[in-house]
Amino acid sequence: MKTATPNTLVARGLIIVLMIVTLLPFLSMLSAALAPQGTYPNGLQWPADPQWGNFARAFEVARMDQLLLSSSLIVLGVVPISVLIATMAGYGLAKLTTNKYKWLYLVFVFGLTLPFEAVITPLYYEVRALGLLNTRFAIILPLIGLYMPFSVYWMRAHFLNVPHDLTEAAQLDGATRWKEFWLVQVPLARPAIMSLTILLFLWTWNQFLLPVVLVQDPMQRTMAGALGAFQGQWGTDIPLLCAGSLLILAPTVALFLVFQRQFVAALMQGAVKG
Amino acid sequence: MAGLTLRSVRKNYGDVPVIKGVDLDIAHGEFVVFVGPSGCGKSTLLRMIAGLEDITSGEVSIGTRVVNDVEPRDRGVAMVFQSYALYPHMSVYDNVGFGLKLAGTPKAVRDANIRDAAKVLQMEHLLDRRPAQLSGGQRQRVAIGRAIVREPDVFLFDEPLSNLDAALRGDMRMELARLHNDLGATMIYVTHDQVEAMTLADKIVVLDGGVVQQVGSPLELYNNPANLFVAGFIGSPKMNLLSVESQTGGAVVSAALAAPLALRHDLPESARMTLGLRPHDLKVAEDGPLKGHVRLIERLGNETILRVSLTDATEITAVLPGQDALANGQPIAFDFEPSSALLFDEHGSRLNTAP
Repeated sequence: MKTATPNTLVARGLIIVLMIVTLLPFLSMLSAALAPQGTYPNGLQWPADPQWGNFARAFEVARMDQLLLSSSLIVLGVVPISVLIATMAGYGLAKLTTNKYKWLYLVFVFGLTLPFEAVITPLYYEVRALGLLNTRFAIILPLIGLYMPFSVYWMRAHFLNVPHDLTEAAQLDGATRWKEFWLVQVPLARPAIMSLTILLFLWTWNQFLLPVVLVQDPMQRTMAGALGAFQGQWGTDIPLLCAGSLLILAPTVALFLVFQRQFVAALMQGAVKG
Repeated sequence: MAGLTLRSVRKNYGDVPVIKGVDLDIAHGEFVVFVGPSGCGKSTLLRMIAGLEDITSGEVSIGTRVVNDVEPRDRGVAMVFQSYALYPHMSVYDNVGFGLKLAGTPKAVRDANIRDAAKVLQMEHLLDRRPAQLSGGQRQRVAIGRAIVREPDVFLFDEPLSNLDAALRGDMRMELARLHNDLGATMIYVTHDQVEAMTLADKIVVLDGGVVQQVGSPLELYNNPANLFVAGFIGSPKMNLLSVESQTGGAVVSAALAAPLALRHDLPESARMTLGLRPHDLKVAEDGPLKGHVRLIERLGNETILRVSLTDATEITAVLPGQDALANGQPIAFDFEPSSALLFDEHGSRLNTAP
C-alpha cells in the first residue's frame, strides 16, 4: 500500500474545505427550515426544538404535489422530443451530409452563441401572438428550440466518432438508412443519448427565467419558477421559505443519487468533446 | 451464385483518376485476389463492386445484371471489412443473423442458418458473446460468418487478415482456402501481401496506379511477369533487377557483371534493358558472372538469404538452400541458368521469350 505523501494530504484537505463551502448554504437552509415559525434564524444554528412540521406545511401551502406534476409535464414535453429530434439531426449532419451542406451545421453552432436572456423579449411577443401565454406550451415549445443548438452539436459529435465501416456493413447486410439508424446507430448512441437526456432534464427542471416571464400562474410553471411566486407570497416566513426551497431541490437530488454514474459520465463526455 | 464482369471501369475523385479503366472477367466460383501496393486502387475497385463507391464510368455486372445503379444491399454481395465492422451492441448470434433479420427470414430458418455458419467456422461456443469479448481471430470469424450466412453470389474481402498476428494469419489463410473449397462461391480478396495472393488465388490481378498490370494464375505471374512492376512485386524475396546493355551478337554487358553474358541472339543492338534474376535461381559457382562480397546473412534454418554487394556496388539478394557456413565480407560468385533470366525493355515491358 502507498502511504499518503504530504501533497495528497494537502489535496484531501482542500477537497474537504471545498465540500464544506459547497454544503454550507444547504446546511444553513436546513437549520433555518427547522426553526420555529415567525423567528428569524441567524446563520448556522441548530434549533433547540426542530420543527419538522415546517416541511409538511410548505408542501401544503406551495401545493407541491401540483408543482411536481406541472414540472414533470414540462419535462416530459421537452426532453423526449428534443432528444429525438437532436439524435436524428445529429445523425443526418454527421453521416448523411456532403461537404456542400456543412454550413447547415454552422447555423446550429451559431445558435450556441445566443444567450437565453437575449431572446426573452422577442420570445414573449412571439408566444403571445401564438396565444400560448400562460400555458405550459409557452415553456415547452421555446425550450425545445433553445436546446436544439447544443443537443444537435452533442449528438453530431457522437455520430462523427462512429466508424463509417459500421454504416457500410449495415448497408451491405440489407439495411435501409432508416433501419440502420434505428437498429445500429441509436443503440450505439445510448451513452450520448443518456447524457443528453440527463442534461436536458436538469436544465428544464431548473428553468427559472422562461416560466417567470411567460407564465403567470405558478401552477403552470416549473418548480423552480414557482419558487419565485412562493417567495413573493411567503417572503417574510423564512423557515417556511427554506423548507419550500429544500423540497423543490429534493427531486433533483434524488435523481442524481439514482443516476450518479451517468451524471458523471455526462460531464466527463462534455470535458472531452466540448 | 454468379460470375462478375468489369468493363472499362473508371473512378475519379474530383479531377484525380484513381481507377483508370479496368476490364476484368471473373468466372463463377473463382477465388480472385487484387494485389498491389498501398494506393494502387485495389480497395477502391472492391468497394465499387460492393456499391460503396460510385462508378464514374464503365460497367460492373454481377451475373448477367448490370449493377452500376443498384444499391449495395440489392447486389447479392457480402463483404468482410479490414476492421471487421461488427455491431458492438449485438451478440455474436445477432451480428451473424442481422442480415437475415432485415430480410425477414423466419426465425426458425434464421436460427438454423446461424448455427450452420457457426459450425462451419467453429465458433458455436461464442454465439452469446459480444464482439468486445472476442480476440482478433474470433472477431474475424464472426465477420466471415456474417457474410456466409446470407449466401451471397459474391464474397468480398478487404484486407481481412491484416490486423492479425503472423501465426494467426497463416491459420486463417488456410481456413479461407477451405471455406472457398466448401462453398464454391465467387470470392474477391484484396491484399497488399503477395504471399496471401500467391497462396489463396485461382487468379491474381496485379494493380498499380489504378491500372491492371497483369492478370493470371499465381505461377503464371511468377514465371512470366508481363513487366518490371509485376516481376518486382510477385515473389519473395524480391527479384534482382540489374541495368544492362545489349551488344552485338545478343550478349549483355553491365558494370555489375564480371563478363558479357550471352543470353539470346535476337536482342537489338546497344539497347538499355533490365535483367531480372530470382534470388532462388542463383547458384554459388566460383567462375560465375556475378562476383561480389557477402554483406548480410539471414539464416532461416531451411535456407540462407544473402545480401551480396557486386563489383560495382549494386546489391543483389540470393537464397541458398540449407545452412551454409558463410561469413560476412567473404568473396562469393554466382551463376544461373540462362533460361531463368528475364529481360525487360527500357519501358519495363517484358521481352518475348527467345524462339
